[in-house]
Amino acid sequence: MFQNYISVALRNLIKHKLYSAINIVGLAVGLAACVLITLFVRDEMSFDTFWKDADKLYRMNTTFNVPGREPFVTVMAMGPAKGAIERYFAGEVEAVTRFNNEWPVIEYDNKVFSEEVYFTDPETVDMFSLDVVAGDIKQSLNDNSTLVVNESFAKKHFGDKDPIGEVMTLTYYATTRDYRIGAVYKDLPHNSVMDFRALIMIDEADFENFPWEYGHWFSVNNNIFFKLKDGVSIDALNARWKDFTDTMMDVRDQIEPGTNPSDFVTFSSQPLLDIQLYPAGDGEMKPTGDIKTVMIFSAIAGLILLIACINFMNLATAKSTQRAREVAIRKVMGARRGQLITQFLGESILLALIGLVLGIVLVEMALPVYSDFLGRELTFEYSDGTTLAILLGLIAFVGTLGGFYPAIALSGFQPSRVLKANKSAETSGSIMLRNALVVLQFTISIGLIVSTAVVYGQMVYGQNMDPGYQKDNMLVIRNVGRSGMLEQQEAFKQEVLRMQGVNNASLTSGRPADGNESNSSVEIPGNPEAGSILLGRQGVDHDFFETYQIPFVAGRAYDLSRGTDGTPSSEGAKEGEVLQGTVVVNERTIRRLGFGTPEEAIGKVVRMGVGDDVQADLSIIGVVPDINFQSLRQIIRPEMYVMSDSWKGNLTINFNGDAQALLSQVENVWKRMAPTVPFSYEYVDQALAEEFEAEQALATMLGGFSMLAIAVACLGLYGLASFTAERRTKEIGIRKVLGASVIDIVRLLIWQFSKPVLVANLIAWPLAVWGMMSWLETFPYRIDTWLLIPLCLFAGFIALMIAWGTVGGNAAKVARSNPIKALRYE
Amino acid sequence: MLKLHNLSKVYRTDEVETVALNSVNVEIASGEFVAIMGPSGCGKSTLLNIIGMLDSPSSGDYIFMEENVAGYNEAKLSNIRKQNIGFIFQSFNLIDELTVEENIELALLYHNIPASERRERVAHVMDKVGIAHRAKHMPSQLSGGQQQRVAVARAVVGDQAMILADEPTGNLDSAHGQEVMEMLQQLNEEGTTIVMVTHSPAHADYARRTINLFDGHVVTENLRAAE
Repeated sequence: MFQNYISVALRNLIKHKLYSAINIVGLAVGLAACVLITLFVRDEMSFDTFWKDADKLYRMNTTFNVPGREPFVTVMAMGPAKGAIERYFAGEVEAVTRFNNEWPVIEYDNKVFSEEVYFTDPETVDMFSLDVVAGDIKQSLNDNSTLVVNESFAKKHFGDKDPIGEVMTLTYYATTRDYRIGAVYKDLPHNSVMDFRALIMIDEADFENFPWEYGHWFSVNNNIFFKLKDGVSIDALNARWKDFTDTMMDVRDQIEPGTNPSDFVTFSSQPLLDIQLYPAGDGEMKPTGDIKTVMIFSAIAGLILLIACINFMNLATAKSTQRAREVAIRKVMGARRGQLITQFLGESILLALIGLVLGIVLVEMALPVYSDFLGRELTFEYSDGTTLAILLGLIAFVGTLGGFYPAIALSGFQPSRVLKANKSAETSGSIMLRNALVVLQFTISIGLIVSTAVVYGQMVYGQNMDPGYQKDNMLVIRNVGRSGMLEQQEAFKQEVLRMQGVNNASLTSGRPADGNESNSSVEIPGNPEAGSILLGRQGVDHDFFETYQIPFVAGRAYDLSRGTDGTPSSEGAKEGEVLQGTVVVNERTIRRLGFGTPEEAIGKVVRMGVGDDVQADLSIIGVVPDINFQSLRQIIRPEMYVMSDSWKGNLTINFNGDAQALLSQVENVWKRMAPTVPFSYEYVDQALAEEFEAEQALATMLGGFSMLAIAVACLGLYGLASFTAERRTKEIGIRKVLGASVIDIVRLLIWQFSKPVLVANLIAWPLAVWGMMSWLETFPYRIDTWLLIPLCLFAGFIALMIAWGTVGGNAAKVARSNPIKALRYE
Repeated sequence: MLKLHNLSKVYRTDEVETVALNSVNVEIASGEFVAIMGPSGCGKSTLLNIIGMLDSPSSGDYIFMEENVAGYNEAKLSNIRKQNIGFIFQSFNLIDELTVEENIELALLYHNIPASERRERVAHVMDKVGIAHRAKHMPSQLSGGQQQRVAVARAVVGDQAMILADEPTGNLDSAHGQEVMEMLQQLNEEGTTIVMVTHSPAHADYARRTINLFDGHVVTENLRAAE
């Protein structure tokens, strides 16, 4: 019996080559897409699960509540928080550690270079189960002149030499010290949010004069992790953050009387295992993923699989007419319905199995490109029990889902009717179901096209958005604020200005799209009710507005010839003195301060602290438009462009001509002036475009999988069209005899398949618009919502064209055939 | 009306060459009622298909209304066919998904006739064949005789000059068969040329002339004496 089933199944496969090929290829593509997405999703879910105490590790996140602005969230916290947690949560927390990255200048073997190094606390060893391959890591992190590095760091700098005991000289802030390599650990796997290649113990004494790193309560530079004691619930701890803030934050002298630290700062805990998928704010060691992305792609995987299953079902039911006779004869011979259902389900599962094998071949072929695109090494483990279970489950699921309806329908045929009438055994119900399924397939496809177009559109929009200043032909030289270059940065700027092709240059604290948060609070003299107002601040020089080509709405730029321009230095000032100066602000600042129109604001005064108990009254001399200097992904904040002698870390060059030639000139000067400082640069337009890299990746992936989905849906449509044409042979024959031309027939068949696509459009559009509008809401600056209408029309048009292309060829072939064959089949 | 001169039709497969028609010469005048008879496989249907321009001859001439159509391409043939020829089949060949009315209207759809005129003509022809009370029914709800009447109505609704009937009574009982034959006779009396393939000598008697085919040859032509 079983052998009979197998041989019938195989013969059927071979006999209906087109049908089999469509089914198997469609299924293989669907399964391959599904497996690829699953690999990505499982990888995302696996982040940091390998740490021994992963479930007990939490990170402290900080939210600053700035009046008049969106709360600012960072995943970093303040240096003193470590000690505060240890004391306040002594009963709950076992250990606390900090991570703070620096780029010290390193000298080794007569070479000078810079590497990222994380300063951390000795507790790290007890909290994170690092895989040590050499040396004693515990001892090393308890010693302020020992360096712990990972294998690739060791390999890069020491080659095949034994790294333990090698000595490197590190310079950072005021410290220059010899560090001995004390331990080497295995590189962290890619599926970790932790990313450090070298560790040094924090010795706070080294930072005494640089208290913002570990001493200040209003300066956040550390990723702080803590480990719960056994049996402690995080909820109990979370409930006490507010009290922790008010009890432990020693900032009473920095905030206004009558307010509490918890009015400005909110702490929260985030499980280590959640960090990868639930991005909380700025300051991660490396870019994280997002649960939304994971869910979007899981959904797409499901949808593609659904499309493939629908093909399966549709083609099988369509084909069922041709097998009516076989069913009838089997029934006459005594087959029970259950046996027939088993037979057809078995065939369906066999087909699914073949599809899976081909699908795995496709996965193996696509994996290198896919891994490359995702930037991580993904492999498909066959021996893994879970994988096998998933695959077998998938086969059973697809085979059963695809085969169930046809099995029921086929086995339900009445033999007498089928054998006698020899007419279409198909019920109108199954035709309706099939149309509904085609509608569903195209709804999914059209929805995916619309989504891809919107994501792509938003990306292009973001990348081409006018930030309000010149972004092309702008080169930013970084690191000009590092010791070695800091002292001579003005001379460096002058050298650059002399180069050919350089129009202008400006020293600034930040650079476009660095997202850096720096704020100062100001008061309005004579208006005590206004209180203290926090304003964003960018440190600039007098060439800033000219270099970035920022126009003025009112007033003027800084002028060096007027000695009074800019924020005065507190040096030499007496305690309690109020100095005089000038400032340029953006339009939002004017609104925040209630200064009326930009013209009216000129000459108005804000008071800002410039040193210990020294203040400056700054009169507004210029108002510029709201420019996106901080980030294109954030709402523009009220911002002051402060010209003072404060620290500046970037030199922006406005140039024309050959960028490469200029760059090498600048680099030569840099190497001559500051050989110990790494030369680092970026172009403004690229930096702005990089802000939308995540969307670019999303658009590419969406586009790729949408195409797969559509391809699978089209395969199904093609198969269905051929079957329909077969079913309508007689009708087509009659129409031709009555004078219908080939065109008439093609039109007839194409219209039949246009209807479900048109209906699918009507369903897909509102769904896609709704989904995409909520996606777009995450961007403060986004494409016009009305643009969704042409995008929907475009997607519908594409889908219709694809459907026509798929059906048209077949229809033409059928329409050209001789009608007499169709009409004489009795 | 039409003239077949030395017309042959040969079917070729890989190994076998079958001669379906061998140098057939037939002439049919306008307004004639001709029956074609002969045993199974003698070429009756092939002859009818060629006359109906559903098939092309392998050699010879086919002059239809003073035009030699033997070498015409499908589009041209289709055009001549829809203007002049109506078909009636043994198995009725109605479209199951369309109503009686729509089935008849189908013959006018490809003629660029306005909808109002189409409705009028369909109504008229349904009256004529006595099927008007079934206008909204589906073919599956009708008896065989009724279905064939719909087919006849469809064949003549376009005012075709000639009707080709391929065993129109083959699937009907004798009473219904007779009904259909009387209808054809009436159409013939109104001036329509009728060419009919049949196995039934009784039904062949409705025709004024009978062509007997055997193995692709015309063997005899009997003219029925006028009554």
